[in-house]
Amino acid sequence: MRVTMPTIFNSIQSNLQNLAEDLQGLNASIASGRKYQSISDSPVDVGAILGLTKEGNQTVQYERNLETAKGWLSVTESSLQTITEIVRASMALANQMATGTYNAAQRQAAAQQIQGYLEEVMQVGNTQFRGQHIMAGYRTDAPPFVAEDWQVQSPVMHLQPGSTGAAVAGGVYTGTASRTFLVEVVSGGGAGLGTYRFSVDGGQSWTDPAVIPAGPVSLGDGVEVTFGGTWVAGDRFSISVYQPIEYQGDSHNFEIALGADSRLAVNEVGCVAVGGDQGDHDLFQMLAQLKSSLEANDPAEVGISLEKLRSYETHITAILAGLGASLERVAMKENVYGTLKEELTRQISDRADTDLVAAVNLLKTKETAYQASLLSSSKVMGMSLMDYL
Amino acid sequence: MSGLPSILHIATRSLLAEQLGVEVTGHNIANVNTAGYSRQRVNFVTAGAVPSSWGPLGTGVKVQGIEQAFDPFITARLNEKNSLLSDYQTRSSALEQVAAYFNETQEGGLNDLLSQFFAAWHDLADNPSGAGERQALLSRSLTLCDAFNSRADQLVRERLVLLQEIGPTVEEINGHAARIAQLTQEIVETEANGRTANDLRDQRQLEISQLSQLIGVRTYTTGDGNLSITLANGRPLVQGVLSWTLTTQLNSSDTVDLVWQGPGGTTEIIPTSSLTGGKLTALLQTRDEVIPKYQQELDQLARDLIVAVNRQHTQGVGLDLFSQTTGTYQVNDPNAPLGNAGLPLGDQIIHGSLTINLDRDGAPLASGTIVIDPSLSLNDLVQSINTHAVLGGYLTASVENNSLKISANSPSDTFGFSGDDSQALLALGLNTFFTGDKAYTLDVNAWVLDNPELVAAGQFDATGAHTVGDNRNALALAEMEEAPVGPDGLTFAEAYQRLVMSLGLEAQEAEDQESFFQGLVDQLTQMRDAVSGVSLDEEMTNLVKFQRAYQAAARLVTVADELYQTLLALKK
Repeated sequence: MRVTMPTIFNSIQSNLQNLAEDLQGLNASIASGRKYQSISDSPVDVGAILGLTKEGNQTVQYERNLETAKGWLSVTESSLQTITEIVRASMALANQMATGTYNAAQRQAAAQQIQGYLEEVMQVGNTQFRGQHIMAGYRTDAPPFVAEDWQVQSPVMHLQPGSTGAAVAGGVYTGTASRTFLVEVVSGGGAGLGTYRFSVDGGQSWTDPAVIPAGPVSLGDGVEVTFGGTWVAGDRFSISVYQPIEYQGDSHNFEIALGADSRLAVNEVGCVAVGGDQGDHDLFQMLAQLKSSLEANDPAEVGISLEKLRSYETHITAILAGLGASLERVAMKENVYGTLKEELTRQISDRADTDLVAAVNLLKTKETAYQASLLSSSKVMGMSLMDYL
Repeated sequence: MSGLPSILHIATRSLLAEQLGVEVTGHNIANVNTAGYSRQRVNFVTAGAVPSSWGPLGTGVKVQGIEQAFDPFITARLNEKNSLLSDYQTRSSALEQVAAYFNETQEGGLNDLLSQFFAAWHDLADNPSGAGERQALLSRSLTLCDAFNSRADQLVRERLVLLQEIGPTVEEINGHAARIAQLTQEIVETEANGRTANDLRDQRQLEISQLSQLIGVRTYTTGDGNLSITLANGRPLVQGVLSWTLTTQLNSSDTVDLVWQGPGGTTEIIPTSSLTGGKLTALLQTRDEVIPKYQQELDQLARDLIVAVNRQHTQGVGLDLFSQTTGTYQVNDPNAPLGNAGLPLGDQIIHGSLTINLDRDGAPLASGTIVIDPSLSLNDLVQSINTHAVLGGYLTASVENNSLKISANSPSDTFGFSGDDSQALLALGLNTFFTGDKAYTLDVNAWVLDNPELVAAGQFDATGAHTVGDNRNALALAEMEEAPVGPDGLTFAEAYQRLVMSLGLEAQEAEDQESFFQGLVDQLTQMRDAVSGVSLDEEMTNLVKFQRAYQAAARLVTVADELYQTLLALKK
């Protein structure tokens, strides 16, 4: 082929240009640490990197969700743990007091202890986590357990055989502490015939016997009782006054996303776990009744309360087991995401980051090629017949 | 004739011929760097022989003419490939520009922003009453909207830039066509006496090659120096000494019409799709076919996002309720059926109902259900709210600026929405998170932006109560990241990744084609230069060759002179 001036010079120029372009690309990828500078460098790889990055971002977010979930679950678990301990302490106390070896004064003291326990349960039930009441369902802005107005409870009756006595409690309590009135029929008979006396300290001291009237009898602090039927001497009943604890939250479960299509309820609804709904597992009611029975110096009733507390203990243990399982699940997910994140980082790095060793090697090769090209070009350009004519 | 005068005659002719050889060599050397120049050579032939008693006797050299070293076939192929090269060069640089707006290899790409947007919903779901989480969600949403807006804007600008390039390119094409016709006339006139107008032909060839870089053409030559150039659709641009022009105009659908202005005022629109090769083709096709495709995909993605997020958001309730609110979308005609009233998302409305829940001083007061059908007009809807047995007394609906406005009658009343299975709230823009209907108009609803408490993280209970710790709606919105949207069942991230990948592939393909055709053009240029290019060493050799021949011819004169002297000396 004829080689002409334009051929020589064009090929020198285009070859140098190509090499310079390669050098620039390599330099950019080394300097930036990124293999690709533009999506057209490798659209398939860039697409894959986008997918991996998105997954990575998502994993980081799920890990954050797990932190929140763990926070909720841990706080709930420790609250319920505390409540379980209180329940066990109450049971131990009730167990002692159910036996006949204790006297009224000791039971009065135990009642005070139970009152303390009750208040503590309420406090624990109103625990906040990051400003939210965790046992209130979705109503996280207000304490879920609130003390209601004083309520005079129905009498707990202990009648002698043959007695047809019936008592109706009433009135509006004006006192400031919960208490139990113990009433005893001293001599049998109906209204106008029989006599009664009452005690506010579990029978340690009694009022003077009085004739049962037809109308209501005032027991003090606004509490009244109306006797009905025919009484037998030795009939006893107790009327207690306390503030029932009411659950104010709702029954929604607060859920957190642990992954795509995977949610976990991280709260325990207060009325299910602790009570306040006058249901089967209302710890507040159980404790209030236990306290009343102690105030009334009534070992039999204390025994009944003990049974109720036992069944509650089973109930809360099951809930705690569920929380433990949830925490286990969170820990497992954390492990999975930790591994996944590492793997994603590795894959992203594999695809997106410059392999410095390879790139520097290639740069060296290109540099040599460029220098060789410059050398040979200058040699070819310098040759002319004119030098010899 | 023979004898001494004949020798002198031969010498004279030879001197003149070799001198011409030197001149043409000089012309070649002078034009070694002239674009489009084809090397020339003198065509020497032996001069006609004269009869002599010994047979025909040569009379020296004669110049037949000056010829061009030119291969029309290689040149034609070179022009064609150059045309395609120029097409892909233009396409590649425009696509590279567009790809730069979607450059996801750098920080802050749309892909990341989408992830952050959904992450913000997760954070809100983790703490639904948190003011910080709400603010973070709003600012991330604004960033996401900005990213969509600016990309849409850049695509529009890129089309504008291409449009600005189209006019001058067409002018250039017309200029080349006119000069080709003029050069043809000069060539025909010059060659009338049988001589080849080499340099004019070189010039015309150069014009043709420049023209074909601008637009794909076919060239037909006739032997007499005439030629025709036609466009891809067969319409002539140059016919012999006549040339026609092209013009462009923007049509109603915002695409460019290329109009051929033929003889006698005939015009014809040349379909862009029929063009192949040349810069103009690339400009037109990139502007009117390639970029609109990505605009549409981006708009679809934005629309899917608006529809999906708003559909869920309208089901929810924030920490606060509305005392009044106005829709963000307008109807053309308050009396037209909603499904057909020009609402951007009017096609989303289906038969169903929605519930409005009223609070008085923050406590549930009443609620009522409104039945919706796409055949209802906006005025019908206003009517059905105002005359609703329960809601009518508490709320007043009206049409304001062709949007639905609902306000509570008493300052102590507030209201919210729930259970909208008709998607009317979405289409009317009430209790929505985003506004707009495409990438350029996507924005965060000003109601929400001004009152972050209106971000609907929760939902109304069946009792009409709403609570601060409710994260049901936020969870549903966060989980939308993984939900399939649009007709192809891709997630948002997947749909965007598909857009980026297809754009990247298209840019890469243009780049690959560019380098492929660059290789072809380089090779064909080498082949052309092998025939037509000037080699200085060759010309140097020729120079010496002609010089030596000239010296020899001059010596012949000396010899003839000496012969004369010898002859004349005989007489002395």
